Amino acid sequence: MNSSVQRPPLVRGGERMIAGVCSGLAAHLGWPVRYIRAGMVLAAFAGGAGVAFYGWLWLLVPTADEKTAKGAPRPASVIAPAVSGPSSGAGNGHGDDADRPGAAVPGAVRAFRAPFGKEILLGAGLLLLAATLIARQLGADVPLGTLIAVAAILGGAAIAWMQLDESRRDSLVDRARVRQAGGWGRLLAGLALVMAGVLVMVSGSGSWQQTWLALLASVAVLGGVALVLLPWGLKFWKDLEAERAARVRETERAEIAAHLHDSVLQTLALIQRRASAEQDVIRLARSQERELRTWLFGDHSRDAGRLADRIRAVAAEVEDNHGTPLDVVCVGDTDMTGRHEALVQAAREAMLNAARHGGGPVSVYLECSGGAAEVFVKDRGPGFDLDAVPDDRLGVKESIIGRMKRHGGTAAIMTGPGGTEVRLRLPAEDSAEPGDGDESKEETR
Amino acid sequence: MTENMSAPVRVVIVDDHAIFRSGLKTDLQDGIDVVGEAGTVDEAVEVVTREMPDVVLLDVHLPGGLGGGGREVINRCAALLGQVRFLALSVSDAASDVVSVIRAGARGYVTKSISGEEISSAVHRVAGGDAVFSPRLAGFVLDAFGTAVEDIADDELDKLSSRELEVMRLIARGYSYKEVAKELFISIKTVETHVSAVLRKLQLSNRYELSRWAAERRLL
Repeated sequence: MNSSVQRPPLVRGGERMIAGVCSGLAAHLGWPVRYIRAGMVLAAFAGGAGVAFYGWLWLLVPTADEKTAKGAPRPASVIAPAVSGPSSGAGNGHGDDADRPGAAVPGAVRAFRAPFGKEILLGAGLLLLAATLIARQLGADVPLGTLIAVAAILGGAAIAWMQLDESRRDSLVDRARVRQAGGWGRLLAGLALVMAGVLVMVSGSGSWQQTWLALLASVAVLGGVALVLLPWGLKFWKDLEAERAARVRETERAEIAAHLHDSVLQTLALIQRRASAEQDVIRLARSQERELRTWLFGDHSRDAGRLADRIRAVAAEVEDNHGTPLDVVCVGDTDMTGRHEALVQAAREAMLNAARHGGGPVSVYLECSGGAAEVFVKDRGPGFDLDAVPDDRLGVKESIIGRMKRHGGTAAIMTGPGGTEVRLRLPAEDSAEPGDGDESKEETR
Repeated sequence: MTENMSAPVRVVIVDDHAIFRSGLKTDLQDGIDVVGEAGTVDEAVEVVTREMPDVVLLDVHLPGGLGGGGREVINRCAALLGQVRFLALSVSDAASDVVSVIRAGARGYVTKSISGEEISSAVHRVAGGDAVFSPRLAGFVLDAFGTAVEDIADDELDKLSSRELEVMRLIARGYSYKEVAKELFISIKTVETHVSAVLRKLQLSNRYELSRWAAERRLL
């Protein structure tokens, strides 16, 4: 028990012949997987001990996915939809994959490995069948009736159990309808095979008619049992659903608590300790305010990384580094392109200048209309003489004006005693030429 | 500005945080007389009806009443809207909060981080019957009405004139009214007229985009 602390946990591996038991065992014990497999096969001949051991481990040892899915908290992104529409979220299948962050990659591995396992099994089965037939041909007394029944039972059990393996078990519980249909089909097929096998065996491979009658009777019995147990099953199912919903809520509450702890409580603690450093406290309060605001009022469903988000992020960065508040107002939004990235960088340079030299609050305004994306950065500093800026100062001339020109946009800097405003304009790709001319004239007047 | 030096502007401050109320009180400059304070919706209605102030500085989020916050206060004081003017104060960036108090009848909206000097001039402006737009509110307006001049709207209320658009864009860019006037070569009084016209449209318009925009943000 003590030594197992240093070992990797016993989970079924992704590299698998049948169910990944041997590779998992090998990883856990630190032995080559070949030896484990050979030992397992050898043990299988010792009265089937290997098979029993293998089956036992298959049932009880979780896969690596299941292990992580159980241990890890749910990612934040799925909480909002799960809470706003629990019934729809649980009902449609695609929320299911998002629940388990690692699902996609091991799934791909599995899809690659699984066919080999199946082919080997199929091949082994066919070889066994051929051997049996040859043995019969050679005159050996093979009880074919019993063999067929046993094969049916084993095959049925395998089909039924296969689908309860790993993620398919989850999907069955999650009511993922697409895969569920296949799952039920398999379950029924497995059940039918096992029942038929058992019946053939019990009735001593008797007449077909007798078997048929027995099959009918057992189906009737099973149906009766199902009818009786259905209410219990439904109740159990509902309890399970309720518990799942409660767990989602609890996770969300924990998420909020964690966030409040991380941001608000930490900030309050820091403010108490550094109350004397006024500038630090202001900066801290400002950045935490912004973060909390984004968290509370931000639109989480919208895909991030559009122009307005980038401008806000850049403004936040400048604000953090210089302690000057930047008020950002965005009207409209657009997808980012390489040219928009240039606009963002030019705007960043303008904000840096405003924060460094302007003093007082800086206003940043982004407007995206059909024709163009425009950014205005205004400060209330003393202003400066643009012509007096030496040519070797890259800040304004190169980073703002030059960059905008290279990407087909315009930049104008209006400065005076009341403050400085940098105006950046980037025409949309298709309307770049015609709209550009008059506008730049007006802007640089 | 429309500062009336003869009589101080009588103001009621409505906010549920006493520390914010007292801070605001010291921030307000000469010529402004704080005649009452309130911390809940019901208190606010009572104090406003009793004092009949010129301007009510009204927090958007308030406890009490039916849970409607600042909007509920305005709705319950609707009969006084001719004499009492409301200026909404908020820490919230949510468009729903801002636009709902404006549409209820507030004459303007400013954020709580505004400086004492700015809030004082905003109070005087509202007392003089004008509207106060922060850059963010101007941004909301531009978002709702669109940034292009259009001729197709049937109702005059449903579109902004090109001049109003220009004024809104400059305010969104952080220009003060004085700077807007200078930039557009018009008087401050004209700027105020334009802003008031926009406020009226924002309050009364049934513009499709405005209702759709509001619905998207769950305002309706």
